[in-house]
This record gives sequence, structure tokens and C-alpha cells, in this order.
Amino acid sequence: MVSVSAYAQAIVLLPFVSFVVALFARDNLPKGGAYSGIAATAGSLLLSLATLAAVYGGRTVNETFYTWAVGTGAQDWTLSFGALIDPLSALMLVIVSLIALLVHVFSLGYMNDEGEEDLPRYYAGLGLFTASMLGFVIADNLLMAFMFFELVGLCSYLLIGFHFREPGPPSAAKKAFLVTRFGDYFFLIGVVAVFTTFGTAAFAGAESFPHLAEAALGGDATVWTPGNMAESTWFTIVGLLVLGGVIGKSAQFPLHTWLPDAMEGPTPVSALIHAATMVAAGVYLVARMYGFYVLSPTAMGIIALVGGFTALFAATMGVVKQELKQVLAYSTISQYGYMMLALGSGGYVAAVFHLTTHAFFKALLFLGAGSVIIAMHHVEDMWEMGGLKNKLPVTYWTFLAGSLALAGIFPFAGFWSKDEILYETLIHGLNEPLLLIGYVFGLLAVPVTAFYTFRMVFLTFHGEPRSDLARDPHPVRWNVKGPLSVLGVLAVVTGGINLVPVKKVLGIKGIDVLHKWLNNDWGGIEGLSSHHYAKIGPYESGYLFGGEAATVIAGAAVSLTLALAGLALAWRLYGVADPAEHTAKLGQIRELLYNNYYQDEYQVRIADAVRDAASGADTFDQGVVDGVVNGVSSVSLLSSERIRRVQTGIVGNYALLLTLGLTTLLVVFALIGGWFQ
Amino acid sequence: MVPVEYYLLLSSAVFCIGLYGVLTRRNALYFLMSVELMLNAANINLIAFSLMWGNLTGQTFALFTIALAAAEVAVGIGIILVLYRNFGDIDVMDAATMRW
Amino acid sequence: MIIEALLAATFLSAVIVFALPDEYAPKTAFGLSLVPVAGSLYMWATFTGSGNALTGGDIAFQTVLPWLEVAGYTFQWYVGVDGISLPLVVLTTFLTTLAIVSAWTPIDTRKSQFYGLMLLMEANLIGVFTALDFFAWFVFWEAVLVPMYFLIGVWGGPRRQYAAIKFFVYTNIASLVMFIGFMMLVVSLPINSFGLPAITQSLAAGELGNFYFLAPDALAAVAFAALFIGFAVKVPVVPVHTWLPDAHVEAPTPVSVMLAGVLLKMGTYALLRFNFTMLPEQASAFAVPIAAIAVLSVIYGAMLALAQQDLKRIVAYSSVSSMGYVILGLVAFTEFGLGGATFQMIAHGLISGLMFMAVGVIYNATHTRLVGDMSGLADRMPVAVWILVAGAFAYMGLPLMAGFAGEFFIFVGSFGSTVLPSAPLFTGLAMFGIVIVAGYLLFAMQRTLFGPFRLETEYELDRAPIHDIAPLAALLAAIIVLGVVPSLFWNMILDATVPLLDLLGGGAL
Repeated sequence: MVSVSAYAQAIVLLPFVSFVVALFARDNLPKGGAYSGIAATAGSLLLSLATLAAVYGGRTVNETFYTWAVGTGAQDWTLSFGALIDPLSALMLVIVSLIALLVHVFSLGYMNDEGEEDLPRYYAGLGLFTASMLGFVIADNLLMAFMFFELVGLCSYLLIGFHFREPGPPSAAKKAFLVTRFGDYFFLIGVVAVFTTFGTAAFAGAESFPHLAEAALGGDATVWTPGNMAESTWFTIVGLLVLGGVIGKSAQFPLHTWLPDAMEGPTPVSALIHAATMVAAGVYLVARMYGFYVLSPTAMGIIALVGGFTALFAATMGVVKQELKQVLAYSTISQYGYMMLALGSGGYVAAVFHLTTHAFFKALLFLGAGSVIIAMHHVEDMWEMGGLKNKLPVTYWTFLAGSLALAGIFPFAGFWSKDEILYETLIHGLNEPLLLIGYVFGLLAVPVTAFYTFRMVFLTFHGEPRSDLARDPHPVRWNVKGPLSVLGVLAVVTGGINLVPVKKVLGIKGIDVLHKWLNNDWGGIEGLSSHHYAKIGPYESGYLFGGEAATVIAGAAVSLTLALAGLALAWRLYGVADPAEHTAKLGQIRELLYNNYYQDEYQVRIADAVRDAASGADTFDQGVVDGVVNGVSSVSLLSSERIRRVQTGIVGNYALLLTLGLTTLLVVFALIGGWFQ
Repeated sequence: MVPVEYYLLLSSAVFCIGLYGVLTRRNALYFLMSVELMLNAANINLIAFSLMWGNLTGQTFALFTIALAAAEVAVGIGIILVLYRNFGDIDVMDAATMRW
Repeated sequence: MIIEALLAATFLSAVIVFALPDEYAPKTAFGLSLVPVAGSLYMWATFTGSGNALTGGDIAFQTVLPWLEVAGYTFQWYVGVDGISLPLVVLTTFLTTLAIVSAWTPIDTRKSQFYGLMLLMEANLIGVFTALDFFAWFVFWEAVLVPMYFLIGVWGGPRRQYAAIKFFVYTNIASLVMFIGFMMLVVSLPINSFGLPAITQSLAAGELGNFYFLAPDALAAVAFAALFIGFAVKVPVVPVHTWLPDAHVEAPTPVSVMLAGVLLKMGTYALLRFNFTMLPEQASAFAVPIAAIAVLSVIYGAMLALAQQDLKRIVAYSSVSSMGYVILGLVAFTEFGLGGATFQMIAHGLISGLMFMAVGVIYNATHTRLVGDMSGLADRMPVAVWILVAGAFAYMGLPLMAGFAGEFFIFVGSFGSTVLPSAPLFTGLAMFGIVIVAGYLLFAMQRTLFGPFRLETEYELDRAPIHDIAPLAALLAAIIVLGVVPSLFWNMILDATVPLLDLLGGGAL
């Protein structure tokens, strides 16, 4: 029987091979490399499912397969690559490879059928992107995770800037890489700090850093801290440093600004970035090293607050956007905010649940948007659309399913996961007022989300067509409808993997599969289970109305009501034959929202200030530092200019000098020798 | 026998005349002649000391110097000719172009 | 004897190429330069040394012959390699060959002299990295400057004479300072040899005497400062870096490759060999100012790069920035710090070589290097441009490329250093360089390589010829291989640097 570790390596290598093939075979490939990409990701998906089955059978993996570099002596650290296959990573492998496969198929319709050039480069990028993300998912230590994290960033740069002949995409790609790089700077310090503190960066096992940190706090181990800082303070700092990378990649406030710009990339790439790869990487990283974060209440609180705030903040900006993909971009930021809120408030399972459901419905929405964009001949402004419902039925119904999931309407996938996040935040928040603030943010974002989602749906699909393009859209083929249908089904049913509220209210056992899965009920790795995290975590649960069931029902009722209210408002304003631009009524607020709270402006201003400082430094360098160098040389040149005048070239002068010199010497010797005494 | 001091005084006098000539004359021919005077002053010294110590080495040196002086005159006249060709004059003050 | 054979073969190649007519010189030089490549790879494959050459380790391919006796001192012909110098020898031979190929397009006058000088420089560089007697070492060290002076001064750009003289005088004055400092040290030791191992071991044994009125401690401090200043110019670190951009901008592409790729490493190599091996206690006493200089080089160098409009100046200033990391690794004085610094020398040699070559390929086609003069080149020269992009990401420290390995080793090594007070603070500050480097490279790439095609000069752009691309591809392959398998060099480097830690009683943690 082939080992699960070999599966894991093959899962990563397959898309990498497709990258290499597309890179070197280039124009000799059928469909520009799409088929090799599809074959590779399909293979990865099958192997991922096999891995999932293996984990279900209790076969987990935590082993090193390649030693990158080792130290000796005091710094005898092993820097290595390895696979950590546990319930979390097995689940994520399936999600990533599934979305990657669907995106490859969809690209046939979006890229090949639309006659794009340079397809081998596109598919090479997709292959490398998938491989990097899969490598990140199986990473068994923080350094390996960082490496693949960076490669994911590289791939997003290459793919966002795919249409490099236009001015916009290269600029957006640069911004995406630079902003996430700023976050990764902190992450890298965090990695370095983890090595220095614990001497290892492994995620799991007795010699892993979360385990050592736990032991150190319990007084069972000693670790290095800078300047003998208290261990708990230092762990909080390290956790927050790593969080910097998470905030960058998962587009959390204040490093979210790159994500809306990243819509310049081809739409299937957006789907991949938002649903399964780049943005998901940040949240996945927190989940991966959750055992370390739960040790620090401060870090948890900050994660929860950043997440909650981002959820609301991004949702409000989504309300006024006019372009389909822009609305989706802000919804992504907002949804990842929810996941961060869940992680910060101890809802580990809830976060992973939402990561899963969101992956499906967000991929669905992006691919649906891609389908609309194909139909609309690459016009993205929703005010040019309208009435596409009957012309694109498959797209409409699947998009609607995704929207209902995003808005959190019962019984679609998003309802279950978002509800569980709010529930976890609430019960832990009752003993922790800080979390209640996060809960309020999260709750307020619910109606806003429902509103912008359905504003989008109504503007795009309902009412009368508002342009000639919308009256006669371009038809889409199987390669677009196929992925949409798969995802549409998933967006409806994925909630079923974790029916916690049903269990709690009705007392039906065994229907909270994801809970049991992440609780290592079918096998897992010691120390990486949800109950372990709950045990060492900082939070206690509290209940309203005297009981768990009552709290569940109350929370669900409130959030569902709010969601329906948002939906109803959208219906009332935009669900008409000829909707008006109501946002204009918001006046100043619309300007503020439309300009994204001027977040981009201040970051551009910072960049400008840095460039000004740089040219100041250059002036200083050329003027002062190099000026001194040139000054020294001109001083010596100038003095030699003067001194050389002794050389008159007139032989008589030389003779005179000779004579005088000799006479002087004679006189001096005479004086010293004492002739005149 | 004449004491050696007299020879030295003669030699100094000849040397000073030569030096005076080198320092004051601008004509290259005078210049050359003055140099010859100085050389001969040195020869007188050599011979005087040779006489004083009864050693022939000094005289041998003097002979060498005379031969050398002849060669030097040949070269010197050659230089003066070139000087004249290039500057149209044999004034040593004119030839100041090769300084820097 | 293989080192002598290597040196003799390279010198002989230089003479042969000098004598050849111009039309045969380029290809002959390339062919002959493969001999040292093969030789150095053979040395790498059969390397059996262990430990540090200066602290009594087992030196590989060693030759010791008495040479001269002057004033009671014995000068020896003493060569050999250890885990620090061997990778640098390999880097030198490899990079010279590629630089020679990259010269085929841009160099069209006095070819035989150009390639002859390149080979002459290579021979002297091999000498610098293998000599273990100060006399021979110093001769090679100075002799490197001569071909470099002519290479910049004859084949360079419009201000070549200014740049060549500035380079020569600046580094030569630095050598003088270093020489005086070192002589003070040697004459105060009770030994009659200029062998570097003997000097190191005598210093380690505490045998330093008075130098006139200077007590041993003060003498060691003065000598350390003189050596540091001397080598810092070569590295270069801020504020003695200003010769570098001028030299780079005026030098032709292959010369820039050698200058950034190998010549700068002479400075850090010498710092490691002299300052940090012979005088480790002074190094730890001066740790804070040196670390401050390192951080300043990283940040200030990167800021300067951000302000430049000339692609070559950008890469030149970024070298200042990257070499700052090396200094930080050295001053940290830990396993990963010293090892990472040495590794970074190799990595930076390859990466900066790649960058200069790629910029050169663009310049060959466009005849301009100004960022504002062009855009969208990716459309016309795709292969060259994408390799340049890969090189830029290597420069930014993308994982699985050599630059990341070097930088990460340095950071992880210096963060917990006990030699350097406030090590986490210095490390954290220096690491901000990775953000700025991404900033200026991404800005420059966005403006020149991407966007709609535009070129201000009147040249037709075509795909670059294969002999321009091949060295780029070879370098990129080397960078990736070294990034994925750093142990190719890492193990031998560590083997040679770890003994140094004993000098300070164990180093970090």
C-alpha cells in the first residue's frame, strides 16, 4: 500500500509538473496546456480524496521528507520539508484541488474560447499556483509554510498581471505583491523568532513549537526569550508577527487594499485566489498553528477584533460598487473577516466550516460572474446588465444559490457556517466583553451582506436589460456550465456536514460531522484537535436564556431576521423592472464608501512619502557622501596644481635651487657638526 | 712643493666662476662652457689630492672625466643645435615647455 | 597541486588570448575559461578538507613552499582551500565563463585584450581566494585592480575614466590602510612567518606584544579598525560605497557582472578571514557599531536604489543593500550567521550577476537603461524579460531560490545572537530591506517590462540572440538549484565556519 506521505507529495507535484510542461512545451500543447492542467488537478483531486479516506481510516502523517539545511552546535536546527496530513489538511487538500480543477475547466470557456493569447503562460501560472497552495497546505512546519506562502504570492503576481500589455494589471499585480510582502515581513520575523525561541518550527508532535510553548507556559520547559522577557508576552508578540502575514494575505484591515485591485486578473484566477488559494492561505495558517494562538488571549482578542471589524468594514464598501467583481471582492474581504472573528473567539471548527462553505460559494459566485462577463463581452458594470435571468438560466440559478449562501439564508451552506461563527462568538463573548464587540460587528455585517449580495443579483439578472449587450448576450458552453453546476450543488448542500444547531436543539446525535472530524474522532494527530484547543484556550462559554438550545435558537433567529431584512430592502430598491441608483441618496457617505474610506489614498501617500525620502537620500548621497569623496580628490588636485609651479622648466632656476639646496645642507651640517664653535 | 690648499683655492675659484656662469648666462653655449669649468675644477681637486697622497687613482679619474667631458660636449652641442632648430634661439630660458 | 595548475592554466589562457587576433578571441576565451570551471568543479567534487583553514583545520589541496626570506621573515608560497574559500573559487570560475559569453554582443573593439584581461582577472581572483600566505594574498589582491581598471577605463561608458580612477584610487587607499593595520599586527607577534594560519593561531594564543607605545589591546583595536575600513570600502558598506554605482554604470555588462558577482565578495571574504577570524574579541567589542553600519547599508542602500532611474544604478545600489546582510551575519557570530553570510556571498554573486546580465541584454537591444525611456518590453523580448523577472524575484528573496536561503540563514542566525546586544532589534530592522527591495524592483519592472510597448530610442527590438540568453538561463538554473539544495555548499561552509565560534567560547545561545 502506498504511504499517505507519498500521496501528499504526489498531490503537490502533479500541478507542478503541469507548470513545467506548460512552461517548456509552450506552443506544442493542445489548448495551450489546459488539458495537462486539468489532468494534473484531477489527479490531485483523486489523490486528495484518497488522502481524506486514509485519514478517515485513521492514517495520519507527520513526517519529514526532505532536509533543506541543518545547523550544528548551539543552533542545531533542522530546516526541512515534510507533510502533515491530519483532518484539517486533508479537508483543505480536497477543497483546493477541487476548486483548482473546476477553475481549469472553466478557463477553457473563459480563456480558450474567448481567444486569449499566451495561454501556456496562463496555465503554467495556474499550475504553479495550485502546486504552491497544496504545498502550503501539507506543510509540517512554519518555515515550509512561509516558503510556499511566498510562492503563492509570486503566482498571484504573475496571474493578476497576466494581461501585462495593458497598464492596469501590472500595477495591480505590483500592489498585491507589495502589500502582502509588507505583511510577510512580519511573518518572516515571526518564523525567525520561532526558530530562535523553540529551535524548531514543526506544527505537530512533542517537539513542535505549539507544544513547547504550552509546556513553557506551564513551567515544564524553558525557551529563549529576548532580554528575558516574560514568556507569555513574547509568545503574544511572536503570534502577532506571524499574524502580519495572515492579515496581508487574507486581506484583513488595514492590508486589504490590494484585493479589490487584484480583480484586474482574469476572472477564473480571481475565483482561485479568493476561494481556495491565496486569501484562504492566511486563515488556514492561523488554523494550522491554532495551538499556539490559543495560548495568548491578547493575540486571540486582536484576531477577533480585526476579523469582526473587517467583516463589517468591507461589507459597507460592497454596498455602493457598480462592478460585479468589485462587489464580490469586498464580500471576500468581509467573509474572511468572519473567519478571523471565529478563530479569534475560539470557534476553530466554525472557522474551518466557513472556510469550506465559502470556498464553494465564492468560487461559484466568481465563476458565475465570469460567465456573465463572457455573456456581456467583458463588460463588468452592473448598470449595463439586467434581465439576464432568462437568457442564462444555468448561470442564474447557480449564482442565486451562491448568493443565498453568501447572504446566509436558511438552509444554504453559508447560513450554517456563518451562524456557527456568530454563535461561538456570542457564547464566548458573554464572559469576554471584547468578543462581544466583535459579535456586534459580525451581526451588523449580516444585513449589509444580504443587501449588497441581492443588489448584485437583482441588478444583474432581474429587471429589464439596460444595454444592447444585455439584450443579446453571448452564450456559454458546457465548460462554463459544468463547474457552475457542481459548485451550485455544493453551495446548497455543504451546510449538511455540520448541522450543529439541529443537533443542539433537537438532540440528534452524529450530524455534526465536521466537529467530530476535527475532533480527531476518526483519527488525527495528538495536540491538533478541536477539544485540545478548547482545553488550553482562554475562553469559557456562557448562555443566554438559561440554556444552550435557547441560545442557539435566539442567535439563529436574530441573524436570519437581519439577513432577510437586508434581502427585503434590496428587493424593494432594486428588484424592480427599472431600478434607480439609490446610492446617490447617501450623499457624502456614498463618496466615502465609494472611495473605500480613502484607505488607498493614505497608502499611496505613504508610498509617495517613502519615494520622496528616497530621492532625498539620493540627493544627500550624491551631494554629501559622494561630495566628500570628490572633495578629497579636488583638494589633492588643487594642492598639486599649486605645488607644481615650483617646476618652472627654466634650467637656470633648477641650477639655482640646486646650489641653494647644497649650500643650505652644508650650512646645516656645519652647524650640527660644530664647525663654527 | 706647493701645499695642497693652493690647489684647492684655485679649484674653488674656477668652480665659482663656472657656477656664476651657469646661474647668470642665458646663452646655452656660455652655459656649456661654464659647466666645463666646473668639471675642470673637480679635476684639479682630484689631481691635487692624488699628488698629496701619492696615489695615481685620482689622476686616473681625472683622465676619465676629461674623456667624459669631451663626450658631454658632443652631446651638449647636439642639444644646443636642436634647441636652436626648435626655438630659433639658444636662450635656455625659452626651452620651458616640458615642465607639466 | 591542482590550485597551481588552475592558476597556471588561467594565466596561460590570458596570455594566449592576448596574442590572438580579435576575431578568434571571444570563442577561444570561452573555451579556455571552461578549464578552470572544470578544475574548480573537480576540486568541489573531491574536496576532503574539514574545519577552518586558519584555525588549524585540515586544508584541502594544500601546497607549502618556502619562497623568500626578507628581514628575518619567511614568505611562503602557501595555497589551499577550505569550506569558505572553495565555494568562492567555484563562483569565480563559473561567473567568469558566463561573463565572457555575455560579452560577445556588447564588446566590439580590442576584443583580444578585453578577454585577456578578463582571464587575467579571473586568475588573480582565484589567487585571492586560495592564497594562505599574506604576501601572495596581497599581491593577488592588488593585482585584481589592474585588469579591472583597464576594463572599466577602456571599454566603459562616457565617464569611464572618472569611474575607473575613482574605483582604483578609492580601493587602493583602502588597501593601504588595511596593509598598515595588518603590518602593525604582524610585527608585534613573536613569529617570523606571514602565513595566515600561523598569524591566526598566534593571535588566538594571546601572543600579541606591544607596538611601540600601543599596548596589545589597543593595538588589536586599532588593527581591527584599520582592517575593517580597508575591507569595508571593497564590500562596500555605507558610507564608503559611492565608487560602486559610478563604476557599475560606466562598466560594460560583463565587467559589472564580475564586479558585483566576485569583486565585492573579496571584501566580505577578507572581513571574515581577517577581522572575524583573527580578531574575534574586537569584533564582538565593536559589534554594535558594525551592526548599525550593516543595518544602515541595508536600509539606506535600498532607499537609494528606490530613487534611481537607471536600471544599472538600481541593481548597483541594491548590491550595497544585500552586502549589508552579509555584514549582519558576520557580526552576529553564530552558526547560521557566519554560515549564512558566506552562503549569501555565493547567492548574491549569482543573483546580481544575473541581474546585471539581464539589464545588459536589454541595453544591447534598446541602447538605453533609463526607466522612463521604455515600457512593455515583455512583449518584444519575452524570454529575456521573464528571466529578468525571475532574477528580480530571486533578489527579493523568493523561497527556493538561492537568495532566500542566504538571507534566511543570516536572519535566523543573527536573531538570537549573544555577541550582538539587541540582536532581535537589529535583525528586525535589517529585514525591512526585503520590503523595500520588493518595492523598487517591482516599480522598475512594472514601468519598463510591462504595460503598452514604447521605446524612446530608435532601435528595432528583436528577440535576444541565444548566446545572450544562455548565460542568463544557466545562472537562473544555478540560483534555483542552490535554493532548493543549499546543502551543495552549506555543509562545507558550516564545517569551516563553526570552528570560529570556539574563538569566542561558543557564540550564540
